[in-house]
Amino acid sequence: MTQFSNIIRLSFRDYSHEWRMSGCFILALASVLAPMMILFGLKFGIVTTMIHELIENPANREIKPIGSGRYDDAWIEGMRQRDEVEFIIPRTRALAATIQLKSTSAKRIVSTELLATAPGDPLLVGANRHPQNYFQVILSQAAAKKLNVKPGDEIDASLARQFQGKRERVHLPLEVIDVAAAGVISRNVAFVELELLLASEQFKDGRAVEALGWLGNTGSLDGRTYPSFRLYARSIYDVEELVSELEKEGTRVKANVAEISTVQSIDQNLSVIFWIIACVGAVGFAFSLGASLWANVDRKRKELSVLRLVGFKGGRIVMFPVLQSCYTAVLGWLLAVLVYLAFEYVINVFLAPRINLDRVLCFLLIEHFMWALALTVVIAISAAVLGGMRAARIQPSDGLRDL
Amino acid sequence: MTVVYTLKNVVKERLIDGVGFRLQVPNIQIHAEENIALIGHSGCGKSTLLDMLALILRPDTSDELSLHPVKGDNHDIASLWQRDRYGRLAQIRKQHIGYVLQSGGLLPYLTVRENIELPRRLLKLPDDESINSISKVLGISRQLDKLPGLLSAGERQRAAFARALSHRPSILIADEPTAALDPITAHKIMAVVMEVIRGLKITLITASHDWAHVYKMELRTLKQEAVVVNDGKVYQSSFSD
Repeated sequence: MTQFSNIIRLSFRDYSHEWRMSGCFILALASVLAPMMILFGLKFGIVTTMIHELIENPANREIKPIGSGRYDDAWIEGMRQRDEVEFIIPRTRALAATIQLKSTSAKRIVSTELLATAPGDPLLVGANRHPQNYFQVILSQAAAKKLNVKPGDEIDASLARQFQGKRERVHLPLEVIDVAAAGVISRNVAFVELELLLASEQFKDGRAVEALGWLGNTGSLDGRTYPSFRLYARSIYDVEELVSELEKEGTRVKANVAEISTVQSIDQNLSVIFWIIACVGAVGFAFSLGASLWANVDRKRKELSVLRLVGFKGGRIVMFPVLQSCYTAVLGWLLAVLVYLAFEYVINVFLAPRINLDRVLCFLLIEHFMWALALTVVIAISAAVLGGMRAARIQPSDGLRDL
Repeated sequence: MTVVYTLKNVVKERLIDGVGFRLQVPNIQIHAEENIALIGHSGCGKSTLLDMLALILRPDTSDELSLHPVKGDNHDIASLWQRDRYGRLAQIRKQHIGYVLQSGGLLPYLTVRENIELPRRLLKLPDDESINSISKVLGISRQLDKLPGLLSAGERQRAAFARALSHRPSILIADEPTAALDPITAHKIMAVVMEVIRGLKITLITASHDWAHVYKMELRTLKQEAVVVNDGKVYQSSFSD
């Protein structure tokens, strides 16, 4: 233990005494490691932000049925229970899901699409409240702007139909409880509770809606089916599987599969390119460090022989270049991290806006830095052990004669 | 007087600068507290013999190579080499032998004091006044906190002797320790060293290639015995009278 602590002390003293040479080793290491980190940072940053954008944008996770189908409550509930499904809610026929809205602060009547919503709706992630009854609505930005309303305002909704040869119109007061975030949807949309959407369809089909006092035909609604649905996968990686399974069931759907595949393909190709460069860099680095340490052992034959002469055992002498290699690895890594962080700042703050990219282009996680350190130390130690074993084999007599 | 080294038919073959060389030691005994000078021209095998005595060079063959650094402490060095007991050899070396090289061999990254302390640290000897006292005797007290690169050749050599003696070895081996110094400085250093060695009752083995110098300056003044090495053959004789 005393010999080991002495070797640590002596190797560090020698390392700091030869600070110019040590500095060259550190610079050599950092000059290989820093570009690799920047390259990986760019690869990771670009792909991650692209994937993040895809994930963030619910439109990329939406799976839309093509045409009309017959989906009952059991089918909808079955889909809702699947792990890959984040949100599903029925839709009615498009013509039955249109409502006219009017506010006191705008002159025009706005024809608006009705979409059923519920807590967990990816389109209303930022919403403070969700419609709880027939009389609450969340408007899209476009609709709210045209109606010139804000949360808390009241608007008038009206539905019209031809019933028994007469034109009928019913009115419904709606409270605007929120306005959807910008960019969520560009159309005029009113997000309402499912019951209101269904009531609208019933009214247009000539049936009565007792809860709202709308008159019409009465009859049982048992065995209700929906022609469509609004479905969002939990992640972009679930989209392809869900599409595949729905199509197997005979449900024709469409989704943003092509864009997702493009990003995944970019990720894979960039990974291959990165690993080829990283491997070439790592091999070059290992050879460079190994050769330096090998040469260093030759240069230090005298000092190492003196250490053997004063009583250090051969095994302990191996530790001398190994420890010095560790110092180089840690300090070189530290320098590479600093260089990387400087470049990351320049790329993200100055370069990204110049190429009209409003996103982070280059970044690494803490675990990436730790991996880089671990790999650097392992490569450095492996290379140093060869030099160290050579040092241990030097007969003190041979080294001393080189004096 | 107690025998410290016994060498019988010790042979070592080496390749030096591409040329084969064979050292043959027929029968030599070195006694405790003797001052032995290995004399011979450059390349005759003095350093090879010194290295074998310092346990840093393995002999090829030998009938006997043994070391008895202190009374009752016997080591069969030839057997230790044969059994590759390098750790044991290193232990014996650091405990009983001090070695001074022609250029001093101080570690350039340690101060003079740290260089001198190194053998004591390895032996886990407690810090005492011996470092200061030996430095004072050798005239390097003011240089203790300097790096070796800042010392003169004579000061470096004094520091090298201080390091070799700091742990009170029973044997001091010096390979042409004054060859790089001017004769006056060399004589001054050796005189001081001899005084220390006599006080500590240490066996001294030095090597030199300068016959006249050895004869005039060392053998007579320092009362040394001579072992002559010539073309790889070793002869023991006395010049002291």
